Amino acid sequence: MLLEINGLTIAGPAGTIVDGVGLTVAAGEMAGLVGESGSGKSLTARAAIGLLPKGLRASGSIRVGGVEIVGTAGERVLRGLRGRRVSLLMQDPFSMLNPLRTAGAHIAETMPGRATREEVARRLAEVGIDDPSVAGRYPFQLSGGMRQRVALAAALAGDPELLIADEPTTALDATTQHEILALLARVQADRGMGVLLITHDLRVAFAICDRVSVMYAGRVLEQGPGTSLAQAPAHPYTAGLLRALPSVEYTLEHLTGIPGSVPPAAQVASECAFAARCDHATTRCRASRPPLREIGDGRLTACVHDTLPRLTARDVATGTLPTGSGEPLLVVDDLVKRYGTHTALGGVSLQVAAGETVGLVGESGSGKTTLARSVLGLVTPDQGRIELDGLDITRRRALTRQERARVHRLVQCVFQDPSTSLNPAMTVGATLAEAATRAEPADRLAPGDLLELVGLPPGYATRRPKGLSGGQRQRVAIARALAVRPSLLICDEPVASLDVSVQAHVLELLRGLGRELGTAMLFITHDLAVVRQIAVRTVVLFKGRVVEQGDTATVLDAPAHDYTRRLVAAIP
Amino acid sequence: MTAVSGTPLFGGRVARLRRTRPGFLTVVSAAVLALMALAAIGGTWIAPYDPAAQDVALGASMPSWAHWAGTDDLGRDVLSRCLAGARSALLWPVIVTLCTCAMSTTLGLLAGYRRGWVDAIMMRVVDLLIALPGMLVLIVLVGVLGGGIGWAVLALAVLFTPGDIRVVRSLTMAQRELAYAEAARTLGLRPTRIMFRHLLPNIAPTVVAGALLSFVAGLVALSGLSFLGIGLPAGTPDWGLMIEENRTLLDLNPWASVIPAALVTIAATAATLLGDRLFERLSDAA
Repeated sequence: MLLEINGLTIAGPAGTIVDGVGLTVAAGEMAGLVGESGSGKSLTARAAIGLLPKGLRASGSIRVGGVEIVGTAGERVLRGLRGRRVSLLMQDPFSMLNPLRTAGAHIAETMPGRATREEVARRLAEVGIDDPSVAGRYPFQLSGGMRQRVALAAALAGDPELLIADEPTTALDATTQHEILALLARVQADRGMGVLLITHDLRVAFAICDRVSVMYAGRVLEQGPGTSLAQAPAHPYTAGLLRALPSVEYTLEHLTGIPGSVPPAAQVASECAFAARCDHATTRCRASRPPLREIGDGRLTACVHDTLPRLTARDVATGTLPTGSGEPLLVVDDLVKRYGTHTALGGVSLQVAAGETVGLVGESGSGKTTLARSVLGLVTPDQGRIELDGLDITRRRALTRQERARVHRLVQCVFQDPSTSLNPAMTVGATLAEAATRAEPADRLAPGDLLELVGLPPGYATRRPKGLSGGQRQRVAIARALAVRPSLLICDEPVASLDVSVQAHVLELLRGLGRELGTAMLFITHDLAVVRQIAVRTVVLFKGRVVEQGDTATVLDAPAHDYTRRLVAAIP
Repeated sequence: MTAVSGTPLFGGRVARLRRTRPGFLTVVSAAVLALMALAAIGGTWIAPYDPAAQDVALGASMPSWAHWAGTDDLGRDVLSRCLAGARSALLWPVIVTLCTCAMSTTLGLLAGYRRGWVDAIMMRVVDLLIALPGMLVLIVLVGVLGGGIGWAVLALAVLFTPGDIRVVRSLTMAQRELAYAEAARTLGLRPTRIMFRHLLPNIAPTVVAGALLSFVAGLVALSGLSFLGIGLPAGTPDWGLMIEENRTLLDLNPWASVIPAALVTIAATAATLLGDRLFERLSDAA
C-alpha cells in the first residue's frame, strides 16, 4: 500500500474536525475522496503530506510508503517523502505557481538528477504540452488549463509514487476540466502510480475513480467502486447527494436537496453523523456510532440498515418551466464592449420575455458576466443598445432621476460569491430593510416577510452574514434582490460555489419564485445540468459572441455549433 | 431611512472584542493611555501645587518629600507641571488625529469610490503634499511666520492626511468591487450612503489603526516643535516645552526634563502598541 490511513483524527481548538478516517491507496489505483465543503476531505489530504494548518493536531496513523508520519516524523523525514514519494496538486491554478518563476523552473526544481532542456520538454509533453517554448514562459502568460498542466508536471517532476490531487479541476472551465481529468487518468495509468483524487464533484469521482470514499462530518460513510456507488448507493447520504444532482438529460419535476445542514464532527461523535438529516433514521442510528461494515463487492457502508436507499426521484416525469408571456422585457441588440485590445462582447443580441427564464451559458472569458454588468449598469457598453421594458438603458448617465429609479426597480441581481455578496458589517435585517426602502411604497415588504419568501426563519434578521452558511447567504441575497419586486432578475452563477445538496434547494427556490412571482430571469451558468433545470431557452456565448440559442432541450440534445457540442461532450 | 439606521461603525465587532481576552501588552497600553487621559482632564486639580506657582528662592532642586519630582529653575513643582502638561501634550495631537481622520476618510472614500477625474486630481494633490518636507514647512509656517499652536495643528493634519488618503483609497477600491457593494449600486442607493454605510464599516479597522499612528506622529511632532520653542507660548505647562526649558538643569535636577521626555515616549509607545493590536483584533473579528 502506498498510503494507509487508519483511525485518523484531526482536532483543532474548536474540537474534532476529522474523526477516525480510514483510507488506502494502492499502486496503480485511482482512489477518490468525495464530500461537501467542511467534510474534512482536504484536511485529510493535507495530513497525508504533513501539511496541516497551524493549530490542528493529528492522531491515529498515516503510513506513506510504509513510513509512519503522524507524531513521530520530523520535518526532515517529511521533506524526504514530499516530492519523491508523495506529491500534492492543488486547486487554484492562479496562486499555485510562483509568478516570478518560469514554467520550466517549476518543473526543474524537483527533478531528480540534472534538469536538461530536453528533459523538461519531455516532462511538458507528458502533460500534453507539445510546445517546448512553454518552459520559458511565466504563469501569467499561460491560461488556467495550461497552468494546471504545468502544475501537474511540476508535481510529477520528482517521480512520486503517490499523487494527491486536491480539487484539481474545480477552478477550470467545463471543457478544460474534462481535458485535465482525462490527462490525469492517462498519466496515472502510464506511470502506474497511485492517485488520491479529492473532489466535491460526485460525477467526476464516480466516473474516473476505481474506489471512492464518501466523507461527511469528518468521517467516511461509504466506500466502494465508483460505478457501483453511482448505481446503488448503500448509504442514505450518498443517495441524497445523487438525488440532489441536477440532471443534464431532462428537467426534473422537483429538485430535492438534503434537508438541514452538516453538523460539526464533535457534536455527532457517538451516533450516526447523518441521522439528524436522514429519512430512515431510527433509535438504533442514535444509540451508537455505526462502524463501516462490509456488504460484499468490496463495498463498505456505515449505515445500520440492510435495505439500500432508493433513487426514486430520478425517474419521475419531467417538470415544466414557466415560458413567460412572450412580451419582450429585455432586448439586447448588437452589444459591444472592449477592454483595451480585448473584446469582451463582440456584438451580442438576445431577448428575454416577461416571466421567462433564459439560460446564458459560456466559459470564463466568454463575456457572460460583462453582459450581465452592462444590463445592471455597472459597465457602460461601447456600442449597441439595451432596452428594458421599453426604456433605453444603454447609458445610465443619460437617464433622468425618475427613469433611473425605475430601472433599479426593474432589474436586480444575485451575485456568485456568497462570501462577499452580503455586507459583513450589516445584519441580515438591516440589509433587507435597506433594500425594501427602494421599492414602491405599496410593494414594501418587511425583512421577516422577505426571509419567509426565501424559506428562512424571520429570526435570521438579527444575524450577520458570518453566522450564515453559503446557501443561507445566497437565499438572503435573493431576498434582497426581490425586495424591490423586480421584473427581471439576473442570476450570475448563484449556485456555482454551493454544495450539491444546497444547490438543489436554491435552484428549487428560484424556480418556485419564477413560477409564483412571474419574475423573468437571465440565469448565467457554466453548468449545463443547472441550465436544464431552470431555463426554458438557452443562449450559448463563446468568445463574446452568441454561437447558438434556442429551446434548452434542443440546444443540449442536438447542439448545432461546434463549441456547444464540445461543452455537452465534456459532461462527466 | 430611519428604519435602517442600525449599522454600527464596527458591525458588532466591538461587542465581539469584549468577549475575547485581550493580551497583556494591550491591557497595559490601554491602562497607561487611560491614566494619561485622566491626567489631561483633571491633572490641574490632582496636582499638589499650582503648576505656575514660582518659588524663586528655592530654585531648581532635586526630588524631596515636598516636591516628589523636584523643582525647575523658577522653583515650580515638576510633578504638578507634568500632570497639568498632559492636557496640552495630548489634546493637540488628538485634534490633529480627528482632523486627519475626518479628511483622509472622506477624501479617500470619495477618490476610491468615484475614480475618474475626481480621483486623478486628488491623487496629484496628494503626491504634491507628500513631496513637501514636512518639518521644514512647519518651522517656516509656525516659527518664522509666527503662527500659534492652531496653525501647527492644522499644518500637521494637512501633512498627515495624504498618506492616509492613499490607504483609505486603495481599500475602498478593493471593497467597491465586491458583490455587496455592486448589489448596493444595483439597488440604486445614493453614493454617500454606499460609501459611509457600506464601505466605511468594512475598512474601519485600518482607519482606527491609522488614527492611532497619526496620534503618535502628532504627539512626537508637537513635542518636537515645543522643544524647538515653536508653537506654544513659553511657560505653558507642556511636556515638550518642559524638556526644552529644563534641559539646562541637567546637573541641578535632571528629572525636570527626563520625566516629561519619558512621558512622551511612553505615550507614543502605548498608542503604537494599542493601534497594532486593535487592528489585528478588529480585522480578525470581521
